Amino acid sequence: MAKEFHKELVELKSEVVKMGNLALKMLNDSMRALTSQDIKLAKKVIERKTLLRKYDSEIEAKALRLIALYQPMAMDLRLLATILKIITYLTRLGRYGKDIAITVEELSTKPYPASFINLKHMWKHVNTMTKDSFKAFEESDINYIENFGERDNEVDEMRWSIFRESITYMMEDPKVITPCLFFAMIARYLERCGDNTCKIAEKVYYMVTGEHIEIK
Amino acid sequence: MVLKIRNRYKQEIRNTHNSDIIGEESYVIEVNDLNLWYESNHALKNINMKFRKNKVTAIIGPSGCGKSTLLRSLNRMNDVIDGCKIKGEILFNGKNIYANSADIRLNRKKIGMIFQKPNPFPMSIYDNITYGPKIHKIDNNYVLNEITNKCLKRAVLWDEVKERLGDSAMELSGGQQQRLCIARALAVEPEILLMDEPTASLDPIATQKIENLIFELKKEWTVIIVTHNMQQAARISDFTGFMYLGELIEFGDTTQIFENPRKKLTENYITGRFG
Repeated sequence: MAKEFHKELVELKSEVVKMGNLALKMLNDSMRALTSQDIKLAKKVIERKTLLRKYDSEIEAKALRLIALYQPMAMDLRLLATILKIITYLTRLGRYGKDIAITVEELSTKPYPASFINLKHMWKHVNTMTKDSFKAFEESDINYIENFGERDNEVDEMRWSIFRESITYMMEDPKVITPCLFFAMIARYLERCGDNTCKIAEKVYYMVTGEHIEIK
Repeated sequence: MVLKIRNRYKQEIRNTHNSDIIGEESYVIEVNDLNLWYESNHALKNINMKFRKNKVTAIIGPSGCGKSTLLRSLNRMNDVIDGCKIKGEILFNGKNIYANSADIRLNRKKIGMIFQKPNPFPMSIYDNITYGPKIHKIDNNYVLNEITNKCLKRAVLWDEVKERLGDSAMELSGGQQQRLCIARALAVEPEILLMDEPTASLDPIATQKIENLIFELKKEWTVIIVTHNMQQAARISDFTGFMYLGELIEFGDTTQIFENPRKKLTENYITGRFG
């Protein structure tokens, strides 16, 4: 029975990794769609939310089933507890991708006051952090997440930088208020993605060490 | 590293290999450097443990790891086994029960034992309860009735048998018989109850009743239980010790042992990765 349980646990973990990849793809494709004004790609991202929700509910059901059937202990229990928490963070990550994709069509009809350089830079940063948190989960290795506090602070700073930049453009030309508000909003979404990645890292830390931490 | 550890679970306990120091609470039993041999078989190796008063301590481990031997050592039940040799000391309320001057009968009165299979005496329910007190020279019927009433109520059996105290104990169900055995053990006013897999032969409903009872019992008694059922140990005990090949591998707070064991061996055992 224990063998069967551990086999199912490994399978469930790989399902979570797949869900994570989907959520990250939604985020990345939405940013690609934004920077290349690709409305088609943006629509694809929006459509993927159904699959993301499916992953969320199926993984939750499987994890609860394993708990009910096998009453796991120690690292198995910690893995299942982590899975149940991080699928929520992954769902949020993907949904922020969807929210960014929704703005693509809106922005495609508006004149841009500036390039996307700062947003691109912020996106790259969040993308790397997210990938590292996934690797930490997949390989049960906390080395990938050891400087997440500093990295998240950088993301926060970038968000405020874009916010200030947007205000400047808006003051100069009221016609760009709408796109600039979208910019500030997207920066906020990316910053929340960074926060969710930190929450994933906290849970992975618990999964590996059994200790609860708070990344600040 | 910018990770700040939040002490969400401030642990009162400190886990150390093969020994334990738990807060400043009083200990009712202290096992110091206990070694036990059955002929040449070294069954218990340097066991150091402290059992806290009014707490439930579970001892888990695979078959043959020495957990029942340890339990039996706590009220000198291994003495009757030929070829059994014991070194070290077990302090019960500060006095070594293996000292030459120790009163074995008094120790066994104060440290009761419940076995895996219910073993009521082939006599009436009433006589089962009063058997022990009568041996200890209590013969006043009023007092014996009071003891019967009190012990059966404490063992949560009174309502089920109060109308048939004169019936044979052998007519009771397995779960009722086990609770009768607990009531019988309580009748001689012990301080500690040792339980060797007390629910192993019971169905889930009877098991639940015994588990609820253990939870109630710890308000007045100290309970030390050996169990194969890890979920049971996790549910009912405050502290858990994991034994393997005669050694105490890890001993500590039950939540910590089952959520985040310090030793790999413990983790492998409780997650079923053993062997």
